Amino acid sequence: MIVQGRYRILASATDVWIHLMDPEVLKKVTPGISELMPLGDDKYKATSKIKIGPVNGSFEGQLELIEKIENKTATIVVNQTSKIGNVSAEIKMHLEAIENTTEIVYQGEAKLSGKLAMMGQRIIGGVITSLSKQFFESLNKEIINS
Amino acid sequence: MSNYIGKSIKRREDNRFITGKGKYTDDLVLTGMTHLAFVRSPYAHAKIKNINTKAALAHPGVVAIYTGDDCGNFGVPCGWQVNFKNGDTMKEPPHPLLAVGKARHVGENVAAVIAETLQAARDAVELVEVDYDELPTVTDAKAAIQPGAPQVHDDVPNNIVFDFQIGNPKDEVNAAIESASHVTKLNFKNQRLSPNAIEPRSYIADYDVNADKYTLYTSTQNPHLIRLLMCAFVLGLPEHKVRVISHDVGGGFGSKIYHYTEEALVTWVSKQIGRPVKWTSDRSEAFLTDAHGRDHVTTAEMGFDDNGKIVAFRVHSEANLGAYLSTFSTACPTYLHGTLAQGCYTTPLINVDITAVFTNTTPVDAYRGAGRPEMTYILEHLMDTAALEMKRDPVELRRINFIPAFDGVNQPGYQTQVALQYDSGNYHATLDRALEMLDYKQFRKDQEESRTNGKLLGIGFSTYIEACGIAPSAVVGSLGARAGLYESGHVRVQPTGKVSVFTGSHSHGQGHETSYAQFVADTLGIPIDDVDIIHGDTNEVAFGMGTYGSRSLAVGGSAIMKSLDKIIEKGAKIAAHKLEAAEADLEFAEGKWTVKGTDKSITFGDVSLTAYVPHDYPAGLEPGLDFSSFYDPTNFTYPFGTHIAVVEVDKDTGKVSLKRFIACDDVGNVINPMIVDGQIHGGVAQGVGQALLEGVVYDENGQMITGSYMDYAMPRADDLPFFETDRKVTPCPHNPLGVKGAGEAGTIGATPAVANAVMDAISHLGIKDIQMPITPERVWRAMNS
Repeated sequence: MIVQGRYRILASATDVWIHLMDPEVLKKVTPGISELMPLGDDKYKATSKIKIGPVNGSFEGQLELIEKIENKTATIVVNQTSKIGNVSAEIKMHLEAIENTTEIVYQGEAKLSGKLAMMGQRIIGGVITSLSKQFFESLNKEIINS
Repeated sequence: MSNYIGKSIKRREDNRFITGKGKYTDDLVLTGMTHLAFVRSPYAHAKIKNINTKAALAHPGVVAIYTGDDCGNFGVPCGWQVNFKNGDTMKEPPHPLLAVGKARHVGENVAAVIAETLQAARDAVELVEVDYDELPTVTDAKAAIQPGAPQVHDDVPNNIVFDFQIGNPKDEVNAAIESASHVTKLNFKNQRLSPNAIEPRSYIADYDVNADKYTLYTSTQNPHLIRLLMCAFVLGLPEHKVRVISHDVGGGFGSKIYHYTEEALVTWVSKQIGRPVKWTSDRSEAFLTDAHGRDHVTTAEMGFDDNGKIVAFRVHSEANLGAYLSTFSTACPTYLHGTLAQGCYTTPLINVDITAVFTNTTPVDAYRGAGRPEMTYILEHLMDTAALEMKRDPVELRRINFIPAFDGVNQPGYQTQVALQYDSGNYHATLDRALEMLDYKQFRKDQEESRTNGKLLGIGFSTYIEACGIAPSAVVGSLGARAGLYESGHVRVQPTGKVSVFTGSHSHGQGHETSYAQFVADTLGIPIDDVDIIHGDTNEVAFGMGTYGSRSLAVGGSAIMKSLDKIIEKGAKIAAHKLEAAEADLEFAEGKWTVKGTDKSITFGDVSLTAYVPHDYPAGLEPGLDFSSFYDPTNFTYPFGTHIAVVEVDKDTGKVSLKRFIACDDVGNVINPMIVDGQIHGGVAQGVGQALLEGVVYDENGQMITGSYMDYAMPRADDLPFFETDRKVTPCPHNPLGVKGAGEAGTIGATPAVANAVMDAISHLGIKDIQMPITPERVWRAMNS
């Protein structure tokens, strides 16, 4: 499943980058996340609780940031398992400075399995869009308020 | 005289079914019964690196947990061997009860958790940690045979199970197609369907340690076959110590023919833990693990001469059999499919070429029609498309090509180009009657008018033929069947003249308890209430092959008729003795033997009593009135009919509404017209489902994304019009009841009729074809591209 979108943050690319790389900020702004523990080397142990339509589950696994170019681009690799199925995703983010703001363009692919794929596939596109929107709105707020 | 045959007697079964008193497997609760739940693979193709059951075993209430390491050497067999064209044996990799080493489709059994309650078993399933290594997947049959495609089984090159050919030599057929004055060519996707029986599969195994005997309660269509396969080919159990009981079964449509891994596993587990164990599928498991139907990708061409006569027909398909060979999976795209390519037509040259393929999907097997709907859709959709292309009337095109009427008695059967010999047929008769019901002329006027108001009317025809009651055993055996295809029928007359009938066929919605009682009561001339029909228990019924392929009345009914003949023959000896007359002077009618030309007679009841109280009795004659017979038919039966669909396509939305559905079927003699109507209605509904609504879809990772009723569309009452049905009768010339079978006719006939009607409605817009299911989206896209 293709995951893609863009969001404008009212801050400089440097500001956005600093916040995006801060686990404390990420923990605050990521919907459903309950734990984000740095494992070193840009790897994190992540635990989250997500409810998608009829599918409701606790996820556990790793997040990893790779291919980092400061203030410009990074790829986030997600591997989460749960009793209702597993999610693996690789999503590339580009930061583009436009005047005093930053446009974040993201694109990637998510793979679902188990009940999550069977029951959730039809609605998960919408859910991801809405979760992404929540994430960026919170990030925007966090940066402006910092 | 017939008191019951031909009458729409209400079904005896319905009282218990509609008042919730049916006895289904899941209703049973045995003392000390445990519950089994499965850990199933979330991946379509993955190595199983490790299974950690420690936490799950510690969960309160858990009794045992098994994995492929414990019982992976037991596997379920395939019941039909099809060889490659070059004579090599088909590829038949093991199908273990629990996955060994790797999982090959989403939902495959990986571990079994047994607990005191279902809740505990399910909770513990979530605690089993399986370490998977995901592998590349392939779900499409055409993709699976490409070089470099992921290998489902290591020792099956290019995932090809076998290739198969039937009909005339390919070069002759090719030459005739090339020199034909018109060729219609289409690509078809007979999409994958989920069978969706209302009752999910359910099994309870009960091992009795003292007697060293097993009882398996199972929702199957063929208890004896399950016992035979499980004992002889899976677990190596002594057959006489295993009892298989299949009480009420809530629908099968083929999906409950097969011997499933779960069925053998519960039996094995019951002995391991020394307690009864139950597993009942939930709906999600049913979507993932009940054998699917169809899934053929086809290219087919039909050549015509200048007069519209078919000169040749060729079919090339890839048949997707899923990840493992289900019990009769190999017969469906071959001997139950290629053999139907003659249809009702005099086509002189036919070639059907099939490649059967493994993919990372749920196994595919027979689903209502089993190979015949796939072929009928190809054939009948080509006929209507050819008529459109050649600007001929689809009715006239059929008439030009119909095999002339033959009754199989005064005229011989019709030898097809694809091995079968049709028993009897009168194809014009059902077409004539269906057209009468339709008013074709008026329809074409209405259609013209409809094109001006955005509601496009279309009509589709399907003049199908069916092959039921697959037989005889010697022939199917030579074609690779690993079972005989006869049936047993045992009639036990009790001393008071009441009759118990034991049949090896099995009723799971067909109403055998009623229709069998009708012909038994008429044959013996006794009240229907004096007849009881018993089925579904290997301890009560001698043997049986069960019910599938619209065989029950034609094969099972005939076996009972053989026993009834023996009873009447023996009864005549007793009657002759009691009446002091010669046997030759007696006639049997209306339940009594009468000395011809006199009023001296003796009733069936008195003869029965005499047989069991043989004080005044013919010398040398054994007491009792109890006969068992086996009937192995000499041929299939060949029902046929004409189905006509009238649809309305909304030009703005692409929505297809089925306005009328006319079915004139010829299923031979009819015992209970209401039951036959019901079979046709249900079959048509399922056929419409394939045409317009249903379809199993896998994503690119082999995940089934149509795994619930939110995404898998079943036909509902408001998708269907009131069916207009009628019948013609061409009796089967080779069985004693003259019956042919009606269970699958609706499904076989309906799908192409509906698909053809949609194309008739929109082809004037320049649309050549739309693949099934013909959803509003697909129609709209076709009209707007």
